[in-house]
Amino acid sequence: MSVDHSEALAALVGMSTGFPTVALDLVNEPMIRHWAEAMGDTNPVYFDAVAGVTAGLGGIVAPPTMLQAWSMVGLTGTLKRESSRGEKKDLENANDTMMRLLDEEGLTSVVATNCEQEYDRPLRPGERIAMRATIETISDVKKTGLGVGRFTTSLSEFFSVDESFPSDPSLRDAALAKAERVGTMRFRILKFAPQASAPAKPPRPKPALTQDNAFFFEGLNEGKLLIQRCTACATLRHPPLPACGKCESLEWDTIESKGSGEIYSFVVVHYPQVPSFDYPLPIALVALDEGTRIVANVSIDPEHIAIGQRVIARIETFDNDLSLPVFDLDTGA
Amino acid sequence: MAKKLTASDVPIGATAPELRHVLTRTDLVRYAGASGDFNPMHHDEVKATGAGQPSVFGHGMLSMGFLATAITSYVGVGNVAEFSVRFAKQTWPGEELVTQVTVTGTREENGTTLVDLDVRLTNAEGEEKVLGNASAWIGE
Repeated sequence: MSVDHSEALAALVGMSTGFPTVALDLVNEPMIRHWAEAMGDTNPVYFDAVAGVTAGLGGIVAPPTMLQAWSMVGLTGTLKRESSRGEKKDLENANDTMMRLLDEEGLTSVVATNCEQEYDRPLRPGERIAMRATIETISDVKKTGLGVGRFTTSLSEFFSVDESFPSDPSLRDAALAKAERVGTMRFRILKFAPQASAPAKPPRPKPALTQDNAFFFEGLNEGKLLIQRCTACATLRHPPLPACGKCESLEWDTIESKGSGEIYSFVVVHYPQVPSFDYPLPIALVALDEGTRIVANVSIDPEHIAIGQRVIARIETFDNDLSLPVFDLDTGA
Repeated sequence: MAKKLTASDVPIGATAPELRHVLTRTDLVRYAGASGDFNPMHHDEVKATGAGQPSVFGHGMLSMGFLATAITSYVGVGNVAEFSVRFAKQTWPGEELVTQVTVTGTREENGTTLVDLDVRLTNAEGEEKVLGNASAWIGE
């Protein structure tokens, strides 16, 4: 986490998230029906006043878990809130501030973890619902399965109010003191830093194949480590070249190396880093027993690689289509 | 007041009738409209997959509501006093959701008797989606 807002966050605990709000719509039968349909709930007390009376509810009632839906801001409100996020800090409520501080800590993702509802009584069509929300807890940074994050709990209290409920937001807290509470909801979320999934490694650079070096890579594809040999003077040479460095003959064939040798020299590359490789990257110049040298990757821990170590080649295939020799420490086993 | 629940309706160990439902994208759209929860992760496939999700997924509160249906059908709509859940796993379109509601005990609180229920929502394979408990008033 780059920023630590622990102190500023602690100051928000216990604060209400703004002035109490009033539901956009009265509790109403159409929304109750939509909700019940979305749940596949065919309980007649949600549709049929007679069934509601028979059930002792006095008529149609709203499903209990719909409690918080009355105070939702709807699509227009959601879009408005999203478009203004992070802009006017002076207009932020405590919840906006909390979310912004958590975002600034890098805890940009959110997941709901718990919901606790208490129902004082069923809600009936025609009721006006007001809500007051308070930030109840903000946890320390915790390690979770999703990534590091903080749990926050908000407590929403729902009240049934009448048309005398003040439209002036600053007067609403006082009005709620006299209103009938109908339910509460505690909602716990985890704001977390999504674990960056490791970007896929790009494939290793491919060698440029020429008529001089093609035999080497084709041999590797067939599982053989082939070394060029001058047919005139029998000198081995690597990397592949058109002519013998000793006698200048253009005639050559190949031998299959057993892959045994010793480390003649090595480097451990730390920088610059090419994304296809893991670093630190040991690269060795191996003196093959047959009598020439070859540059290749080695599997030996960079801390323990040393000149003179006996090594043995194996052929490893990278990215499904590039076979290259890699030298392992030869333990003689 | 709602029709009273009696202790003999909810003996310890009794279970409510199980509800099963295969979640569809239509359910998610319908719930978004009914609840006012327009988080695009629940209805916009392009945004959801763009955010690394395999597809859109169910609202936690939809799972809670579906579980509530099993509870209210069992104890009566006006009798539910508390309902608390933990959202354990996301729900995905195509999954069959299954409710389990079990009576675990009764207790006295502020002069009223409450029956406690263990509630959970799983998929057909038994993966737990939502776990929690609820309580309902018992009248005498």
